[in-house]
Amino acid sequence: MKKGWMRLAVSLCICLGIGLFGAAAVKAHKVKHTPEQLKAFEDVFMEQVRIGDLLFHGDAATEQKMGTKLSRTGMACAMCHPFAVDTHPYEFPKFQEQINKFSTLRDMINWCIEKPNEGETLDPDSDAMKALEAYILWSNRGSKLDPGRH
Amino acid sequence: MDKQDRIKGKDMDAEERAAAMGITRRTFIHRSLVAGAAIGAVSQGLFPIISTLDVAYGAQEFRFAWISDTHLYPRTLNTRFVEKAERAINDVKAMKPAPDFLIFGGDLAQLGDPVELQLGAELLKSLTIKKYFIPGEHDWYLDMGAMWMKLFGKQPWSFDHKGVRFIGLDTISRGPDYWSAKKMTPQERMGHMATLDGSVAGPWAGVGADQLEWLEKTLSNWPKDKPVIIFSHNPLYEYYPPWNFWVRDWRDVQRILEPFAKVTSIHGHTHQVLYNEIGRMRSIGMLATSWNWPYPPEGVPALTVPMVRVDPGDHFDGVGWGKLTMTAAERVNHEYMMWRKDIFTQTQVDSGTGDNVNQILSPRIADRP
Repeated sequence: MKKGWMRLAVSLCICLGIGLFGAAAVKAHKVKHTPEQLKAFEDVFMEQVRIGDLLFHGDAATEQKMGTKLSRTGMACAMCHPFAVDTHPYEFPKFQEQINKFSTLRDMINWCIEKPNEGETLDPDSDAMKALEAYILWSNRGSKLDPGRH
Repeated sequence: MDKQDRIKGKDMDAEERAAAMGITRRTFIHRSLVAGAAIGAVSQGLFPIISTLDVAYGAQEFRFAWISDTHLYPRTLNTRFVEKAERAINDVKAMKPAPDFLIFGGDLAQLGDPVELQLGAELLKSLTIKKYFIPGEHDWYLDMGAMWMKLFGKQPWSFDHKGVRFIGLDTISRGPDYWSAKKMTPQERMGHMATLDGSVAGPWAGVGADQLEWLEKTLSNWPKDKPVIIFSHNPLYEYYPPWNFWVRDWRDVQRILEPFAKVTSIHGHTHQVLYNEIGRMRSIGMLATSWNWPYPPEGVPALTVPMVRVDPGDHFDGVGWGKLTMTAAERVNHEYMMWRKDIFTQTQVDSGTGDNVNQILSPRIADRP
């Protein structure tokens, strides 16, 4: 009887081990990323963060290069949102009172450009919009997700 | 419910809590205290409601006004800030009786441009009461204060008025030199200084050894139990250093002011409703006329009843000026003259500070090498 239990326990351990190994094998990439690749991915992201940072702070040269007009009042995004504070990207999508609709972060960015800044709104899929989004999200990384909060 | 529970806000809405702390919808009342009572009360969290030990010197009640942080651009770029500065000036003109004087608390200009500073001087010229000026960083770093001093004289200054010693400090001109080694143009130097969350200008806000010495000397002949009101652009305590919501030598300032029982510090720069107590010094943050800064992710003093979250679609929201009364009982009453009905929040969520617990923020990167 005692031997029977032992056999069962050993069998379960083996099955569990194979199962875990199998799951890990399924999830793994076929080819591991090299450190160089990971660095390249990060470089692409951080370059967008840098461009977004410059746009967010009203850098005229970057605006000219990107062909944007984000403000006609002298106001830049960072004048109401230093460190991208109070942008709350982790709360989107949510009902946005000013826009009176269920909105994404990109909707909100365009609202700020159009209303307080009196600038020209961006194509939601444009490079400038993606860069602004990258900067805002990067600056808020580590914040707690809280979608829907107003 | 006992008084401590009431102050902590148990079963009270924000308006009741504010009233219990001596704050009405528009008015923040700073009660002057004698020394021992103030320290004991603050340590027990009871200060706002037991401050009944006013000692009058037969002082005469009078009022004065504060305008700051107009951040004027040339009219050709932005008339919005001009309109709001004009509105504040007209509001002060309409005060009856007229205030004894106006304090202009810095950041008259946005980029220190002589056109902006002259525009500000022209707007303020229509206000004929006595005016005193202290500079902000936006007024200074294009020409290192040359135009500012030409138009508004030198700081610091001090004067006595109806039993109160008033002091105006310059907390902006003694920043570390971040421009020479990098061979910056004056415009580049100003641009970095004008970016609140920039990383280049560093901890520029400070009183400086020479001015600390001046302050100590200026107060040396003033009785320790008589009121002192001290104006500065930056807060005289450590609130949020990354945005220079402080002066870096605030401990030295506190050491000099500590012997005085009735010190009120009034400052600009933070563009928001703000109140704090450090030792026996009360500190009141004033509104800007131009725009409102959000509360930073940490460091908001516990004694601050935050302001209502601003509607960015209404550029007259969340901004305004200040009306201050020195009462005969030597209390400083401050009225936030915000151009909206509701000033203080009912809940912290409505101020933006309610979200602070979720926010982890990073300094910018694009202005670093």
